[in-house]
Amino acid sequence: MLRKVAVLLAVATTTFAIAACSEKLDAGKSCPLLCPEQAISLVDTTIDAVFGDTTVLGLPPIGSETYLMLASHGDTVETRAIVRFDTLQQSFTAANNTDSTITKLDSAVLVLPIAKPDSAHRPSSPITIEVYDVDTAATDTVASILGSLFRPDRFLGSKTFAPESLLDTLRVPISPDSVLVRIDSGTHLRVGLRLVTPATQGYDLRIGTTNGGNSASLRLRPSSDTAVKPLVISPVSRTPANEPFLSGPLVDYTIVLVGQTTTPATELAVGGIPSRRSLLRFNIPSRIIDSTTVVRASLQLTQAPNRRVDPHDSVYVFPLAILATPAVSDPATLLRFVSSAGLVGLDSLRMAPADSGVRSFEIVGLVRTWRNQPQTVSPRALGLLSGAEAQLPAEIDFFSSRASAAVRPRLRITYVPQTSYGVP
Amino acid sequence: MQCRPTHRVRRLICELVLAAVAITRFAPGLQAQANMSTQGFGYPTGQLSSRAAGSGGSIAEVDPLSPINPASLADLPSRTVFFQIEPEFRSVTTANGTDHTTTARYPVVFGAVPVGNRWVVSLGSSTLLDRTSTTTFTSTQPLSATESVDMTTKFEIDGAMNDVRLGAGWAPARWLRVGVGAHAIAGHNRVSVTQTFADTVAFSPFSQTRVLSFSGGAVSAGFELVSKLFTLGASARHGGTVRMSVEDTVLSHGDVPTRFGASLSYTGLANSFFSIRTSRDNWSSLGSLGEPGLRAVDAWDTSVGADVAGPHVFDRILFVRAGYRDRTLPFEASGNTVTEKSVTGGLGTTFANNRILTDVAVIRATRSANIAASEHAWSISLGFSVRP
Repeated sequence: MLRKVAVLLAVATTTFAIAACSEKLDAGKSCPLLCPEQAISLVDTTIDAVFGDTTVLGLPPIGSETYLMLASHGDTVETRAIVRFDTLQQSFTAANNTDSTITKLDSAVLVLPIAKPDSAHRPSSPITIEVYDVDTAATDTVASILGSLFRPDRFLGSKTFAPESLLDTLRVPISPDSVLVRIDSGTHLRVGLRLVTPATQGYDLRIGTTNGGNSASLRLRPSSDTAVKPLVISPVSRTPANEPFLSGPLVDYTIVLVGQTTTPATELAVGGIPSRRSLLRFNIPSRIIDSTTVVRASLQLTQAPNRRVDPHDSVYVFPLAILATPAVSDPATLLRFVSSAGLVGLDSLRMAPADSGVRSFEIVGLVRTWRNQPQTVSPRALGLLSGAEAQLPAEIDFFSSRASAAVRPRLRITYVPQTSYGVP
Repeated sequence: MQCRPTHRVRRLICELVLAAVAITRFAPGLQAQANMSTQGFGYPTGQLSSRAAGSGGSIAEVDPLSPINPASLADLPSRTVFFQIEPEFRSVTTANGTDHTTTARYPVVFGAVPVGNRWVVSLGSSTLLDRTSTTTFTSTQPLSATESVDMTTKFEIDGAMNDVRLGAGWAPARWLRVGVGAHAIAGHNRVSVTQTFADTVAFSPFSQTRVLSFSGGAVSAGFELVSKLFTLGASARHGGTVRMSVEDTVLSHGDVPTRFGASLSYTGLANSFFSIRTSRDNWSSLGSLGEPGLRAVDAWDTSVGADVAGPHVFDRILFVRAGYRDRTLPFEASGNTVTEKSVTGGLGTTFANNRILTDVAVIRATRSANIAASEHAWSISLGFSVRP
C-alpha cells in the first residue's frame, strides 16, 4: 500500500511540476497599489511641419484612368471620352463554318460598361450619348485638337437613355457604313463620346476602361443571318508606333475641354477636372522623429469649401506614401510613385467639396518609417489624392502652407519620450 | 537616521515618525511588478536545494546541495551533478481582485568533483533574485485640457540576478570541514513595455525592450563542526561591487549583499537532522542599484525543520522532511516591509543503486505587508542529483 501511495505521489508531483514549466505570468489587478505610476507618459505637440506643399494637375496621367469620366456641366465642366479600335477584323465565320470577308455590316453597336449610379445619382431627365469619329493625323491626345472633331460631319451615332435605363451597360448604335469603310480600307476606328444633358442639368457618367478590366467594345453584325455570331472587337491602340509603353495606355482615355485648370497657391487640391494630386513635404525635428517613439501623427488640414461641381457629393481622400527615391525631386513624378491605399496603415477620410473645417489624417504609420532614416534614403513626404480621381468631378480643396497662419497644414504628434523604464 | 531613545514609548513614536518620513521621502518608484514578492530586483529564492527547502531551509548551512556554505561541499562523497526545478503558483489578492500566476524557476544547478582525498571542488549557478513577472493595467492619459486617451500598459520582465560560485570544501579532520567560494554575480532583466490604445485608428502601439545586465563579485567562506550529536555549520559572503548596465553603459552600481548565517543540527538519530538556522542578508547594499526611490531592507531569515530517515519503500530509505521559515523580503512594497512565512514538507529517496537522488519539497508561503494586499504561493521543488 505504502509503495503504491509513494509511486502515485511521485508521478503526480512530477507531472504537476513539469506542467508548471509553461508559465502564466499575466497579472495587474493589484495595480496601482503594488505597481503605481507605471504608465509611460505621452507628450502631445502640434508643429508647423509641412513645407514645400504643392498641387500637380493632370494626375493620374492620361490613359491611367480606371473609369472614363464623361461629364457635362455646361460652362463649368465638359469632358470627352476617347476609345481606340486600331485593329478591325476583316473576316468572320459564316454559318457554314467557313471564313468569309466582311462585305457588309448589318449593325454596329458601341457597348459601354458603366458604373451603375445609385438612386441619389441618377439624372432627373434623359441623357444622350453621342459618338463621333475622332481619328486624325494631328496630335491625337491634345484636348483642343480632339475637341474640335466633335462636329456634325464626324457624327457616327447617338442614343438617348432614360434615367432608369442606366444600369450596367449602355449600347449606342453607330453608323455601320462608317465602320465598314474602315474595315475595307484596313484603317482604324477611333471614337469620341460626348454626353448631352438638358441645359440646366449637369451629369457625370463613368465608363469602364481597359485599365479597370472592363472596357468598351464594338459589336458588329456582318451578316443578316441570325445564326452568325456577331463580332466583338476590343479596343486596341497602335500609336505612337513601336512604343507600346506609350501607346498601350491610350487605348481609352478622357480629355477635358472645360475645367478648373489652376489651383491657387494658397490651396492644395485633390480630384477635380482635370484631376490633380497634392504633395506635402515634412520637416520634423530630429529630437522627436529620431529620439522618441511616435504613437500618433495627425496631419491637420483645413478644408476650403469648393462649390463649383457636385458640392455635396462626398469622396474619399487618401494620404499615400511616396515611394520614389529622394533623387526624384519633380513633384509630378513623385506623385506618380505613390503607394497603394492602406499601406503602413494610412487611412482615408470621406468629405464633400463644399465642406469646411479641420480634417485630421492619421499618418503615424508613415511617420514611423522615417525614424532614423536619413532623408537621402526615405523622403519625408506624402501624396494626397481623391479616391474618385478622374472618375468624378468632385474637387476637395485645403489651405496650403502659403495660406494665413491659422489655416495652414499642421502636424499633431503624440510621442513617448525617452524613458529609463525597467529600473526598479 | 536611527532611533536611539531607550524608553519604549518614545522609541516607538520615533520609529513611526521615521517610517512616515521614509514613505514620503522614498515615494513609490517605477515598480512594474504586480505582487509583493518580486518588488525591486526580484524575489530571493534562497539558494536552497530541494532537500533544504523541504526542511524549511534549516539545514542550508550543512547541506552540500545548497550553494551557501562552501564547507559543506566536503560532505559530498563523489562526483555529483545537481539540477532543480521549482515552479511557483502564486495568488495576489487586493480590493481589485485576485491574480493567479505560475512562474517556472530553475534556482540551482551545479556540479562537484572530489579532488584528492579531502577536497571537493564545485562550480554552479543559483538564482539570487528572480524578477520574472508580467503586469498589465489600464490607465487614461490626458493629452490636452479636453482630450485624453485610454491605454493599456503591459510590462514583461524576464530574468534574474544569478550567483555563479566556484567553491572548494576541505575536510582536514573528521570533525571539521572548511570551504571558500568565489562568486560572480551575473544575469539580466529583459524588460519589455508595450502600450496599446483604445483608439486604434489614430494611435499605434508603443513597444520597447531593454536588457539590464548585472555584473559583480563576492567571496564566501564557511566551516562545519561535526560531532556525534550535533553539527554546526556557518558561513559568510562578503559582497563586492555589482554594476547594472544597458549594453555598454553602466547605469548604476551597488554592493553584492553581504550575508552570514549558521545552522545547528541535532544528528543523534541515524541519517536524521533536526535543525535550526538563521541568516542575515544586507540587501540594503543593493538599494543604490535602482532608482532613488528604491528601498531595500536588511533581512533575517530564520527557520526550523527536520530531515528524518523514514520508512523503507522499495528497499530504499524514504526521507521525510518538514519545516517552518520566517524571513523578510529584500524590497518594500508600497513603502512597507514584506515578510514571508513558509510551511514546508518534503520527501527524498535514491534510485539506481544510490546514484540518483531525488528530492521533492512542497512549500506554502504567505507574504504580507502593512497594505491592503495579501499574497500566497505554493511551490513545488524537484531536485535531481546524479552521481555518475
